[in-house]
Amino acid sequence: MKTVRIIPRLDIKGPNLVKGIHLEGLRVLGKPADFAKFYYDEGADELLFMDVVASLYERNSLHNIIRETAKSIFIPITVGGGLRTISDIKDVLRVGADKVCLNTAALKNPQLIKDASRMFGSSTIVVAIEAIKEPDGSYLAYTDNGREYTGVDVFEWSQKVVELGAGEIVITSVDREGTGQGYDIELVSKITNLVSVPVIAHGGAGKKEHIVDILKSSNASSAMISSLFHYHFIKDNESRASNLEGNVEFLNQKRSFHTFEPCQIKDVKNNLIENQIECRI
Amino acid sequence: MSKKVVIIDYQLGNLFSVKQACDIVGINAIISSDKNDILNADALILPGVGAFIEAMNNLIKLELDTFIKQKVKNGTPIFGICLGQQLLFTKSEEFGSGNGLDLIPGTIKRFPENFEDRLIKVPHIAWNTIYKSGQNWELTALKEICNNEFMYFIHSYFVKPDNDSVVLTLTNYDGIEFCSSIQHNNIFATQFHPEKSSDKGVSIYKNWAVINNII
Amino acid sequence: MSEKLKLEAYYGLPDEVKFCTKCVMSNQRPTSAIEFKHTKDSKKTTMNFDEHGVCDACRTSEIKDNINWGMREEELIKLLDKHRKNDGSYDCLVPGSGGKDSAYQSHVLKYKYNMNPLTVTWPPILYTEYGLKNWRNWLDSGFDNISFYRNGKVMKLLTKLSIENLLHPFQTFILGQKNLAPKIAAKHGINLIFYGENEAEYGNPIADNMSSLRDKSYHSFDNLEDIYLAGVTVKELIENHDVRLSDLMAFLPPKKEELEKANIEVHYLGYYLKWTPQEVYYYAVENTGFKARPHRTQGTFSKYSGIDDKIDDLHFYTTFIKFGIGRATYDAAQEIRNRHLTREEGVALVSRFDGEFPDRYFNDVMEYIDMKPDDFYALCDKFRSPHLWGKNVNGDWQLRHNVSHTGLND
Repeated sequence: MKTVRIIPRLDIKGPNLVKGIHLEGLRVLGKPADFAKFYYDEGADELLFMDVVASLYERNSLHNIIRETAKSIFIPITVGGGLRTISDIKDVLRVGADKVCLNTAALKNPQLIKDASRMFGSSTIVVAIEAIKEPDGSYLAYTDNGREYTGVDVFEWSQKVVELGAGEIVITSVDREGTGQGYDIELVSKITNLVSVPVIAHGGAGKKEHIVDILKSSNASSAMISSLFHYHFIKDNESRASNLEGNVEFLNQKRSFHTFEPCQIKDVKNNLIENQIECRI
Repeated sequence: MSKKVVIIDYQLGNLFSVKQACDIVGINAIISSDKNDILNADALILPGVGAFIEAMNNLIKLELDTFIKQKVKNGTPIFGICLGQQLLFTKSEEFGSGNGLDLIPGTIKRFPENFEDRLIKVPHIAWNTIYKSGQNWELTALKEICNNEFMYFIHSYFVKPDNDSVVLTLTNYDGIEFCSSIQHNNIFATQFHPEKSSDKGVSIYKNWAVINNII
Repeated sequence: MSEKLKLEAYYGLPDEVKFCTKCVMSNQRPTSAIEFKHTKDSKKTTMNFDEHGVCDACRTSEIKDNINWGMREEELIKLLDKHRKNDGSYDCLVPGSGGKDSAYQSHVLKYKYNMNPLTVTWPPILYTEYGLKNWRNWLDSGFDNISFYRNGKVMKLLTKLSIENLLHPFQTFILGQKNLAPKIAAKHGINLIFYGENEAEYGNPIADNMSSLRDKSYHSFDNLEDIYLAGVTVKELIENHDVRLSDLMAFLPPKKEELEKANIEVHYLGYYLKWTPQEVYYYAVENTGFKARPHRTQGTFSKYSGIDDKIDDLHFYTTFIKFGIGRATYDAAQEIRNRHLTREEGVALVSRFDGEFPDRYFNDVMEYIDMKPDDFYALCDKFRSPHLWGKNVNGDWQLRHNVSHTGLND
């Protein structure tokens, strides 16, 4: 059969899971381990851990989180954020990551993709592309978590990374990210038709119907989701966020986020099956 | 004295999770690339993710290929995972590959990027179902697994055994049917990653160990 | 042992450069000046550091945690109840140009507290594309607005003069912005004006916090000849620069009598409601169609503050020149106080971004004021205080002291 994967994305800053809008303004939502376990129990197909400020501060600090997660969570874990060298990649694989996600380093030094895929296998190397739609309709790739302009065309770049050996691509629409207004179908379908490797769509899921939309309207192999699941989790679960760091105002005020219809993984998956899209139930 | 399982380390793949799965089910396992450890092992696990050529080169360099073959021919149980399964076979159609361990006659083939006018995404990265081929699963590591159970796959190549009788499970990826695990005497191997296939996957480790009297 | 150089400190800045031990702000930070008294020779009052090396803004922030916000909200509700009109007229005024702050304020006042705000805009000197979009989206989310398009010829002249005389590109914007609201309020019979954050958050003497009403000296004047615009007296402007008094009125504060007759009160919403800039950003995105700019603001790490005016970036470059404090320092200091960043991270961000030259809109600004870039650079050099700047071995300007202790004389 041809199945799709539902992958929760956990953005991490220091000890906390965070969430922003347009990859900006990071709100603390809780402890990563709590979210990871919850999603695993709920049937997540994989997990992505992204250190969202690693590039900015030039460090990746997820090792402890990964190691702890890998001890009790038996689904694939992908790790990204600030991975710049072969040695960085090796370190993260050693503590339990199955795949690594490269963005900034890959754009600055494309050779890294080639070397890494040769060393660790293509399927281990995922390249993340953060796309922003320009006024003229083109899509350009950004680095450093959506901050730095590169002038690189997203579609040309996606083909290049596959040539260099990347086994998978995550395409994030920075414009849609955190807004709950649906995935950017134009962006995703164009990329999935250009490359032969699996493509994971990310950015914009606001309700379960959006996931059906993107998987029906494009050749994406997977939908990656953050806000939709996180906001549902915190509705019902006590936050154990570390208060020492991060914007905890949101949690303290116990507000909700009204552009979303938060839901659980099983709601998404049942909805997929009802719409004749195969996935693991 | 408990039986010792060696997870063979030839520098490719995530061994951490394999070890975690063993720990959770109570298998006494160590990770090693030392040929003496291999020699003294009661059972072997051959994991791996990456390129066939690279893997064989590493095994040969570490002189592990001869010892693994020797142990397996003498009846030591072996559990191959993903690339580990492929290495048990004769040869790969991957360009430039030499021979594998040749413990199971057959070849390694790549998924085509075009099949029946459809674009096939390669690597195959997905949860997919495993179903019966001919062998009974009761007396194998899959005894707790239901027909059409989902397992996690991540690979561009798959095995094509010369002899259908070794096939334990089949899987269909977008119309292409391939062998997703094998069972032949003391050899058990899966294309999918049981340590990444949630609780059901981890149960395979347990049952493999039970069946082979390791725990 | 290094010998202590006796270096001149311009603008009356403290001789010794110190950095707050809690945030990353330096003691060279000036507290808000009274802009229309601002001349080349003005001595700045700077932010106070206490005996533990902690700045006033950090201390204020600590107090903020212990404020009874419930009580403050009650005070707000009482105030609003007093002013609310149910006959269809406007009962409060919210100045803004489409940034997240005014979007939040106006929306909260209207939809949470049932007020009837009129919004008023003194437009940015050079609107950015997304700044304009944000402004439109804001108003489209449900607000009446009066915009005052100021005399372009005079605006240009004053902007150029303020850069030349004070290296302060933003002076004219600040003037117009501060002065427009009370005038419009007076004309429309609105007695309540709301600004956002209380300036004491940012290091003004704490005493100003005790009541949130603005010091009336910002809003009234007695004598025209006491007024300086762009560092030049009004008299000189009229005599030497071919402008009339009527051309300048838009930049000048309302007369004392105008204000008192109208019985206007100016309040900071930040006094009544706990102000967390990131939460304000979220609110604006959710409710008024606000969008951050797609790329990082030069000179800092953020994307959603102060993004509507092309001159804003240059403004922070000039603060870097004059006080050694760039935009990243301002942003990081504030985020540290709100506990969104640790000091360690703040230092890393400042090292990476502070003082980054804002080339994106630089040429637009130079064209606007008709100045050659080289002349601008030469001008900058004139404003570098010797106690802050020195030349390194490559002959480039470098700060003598910075927050990561990697300055020329650190």
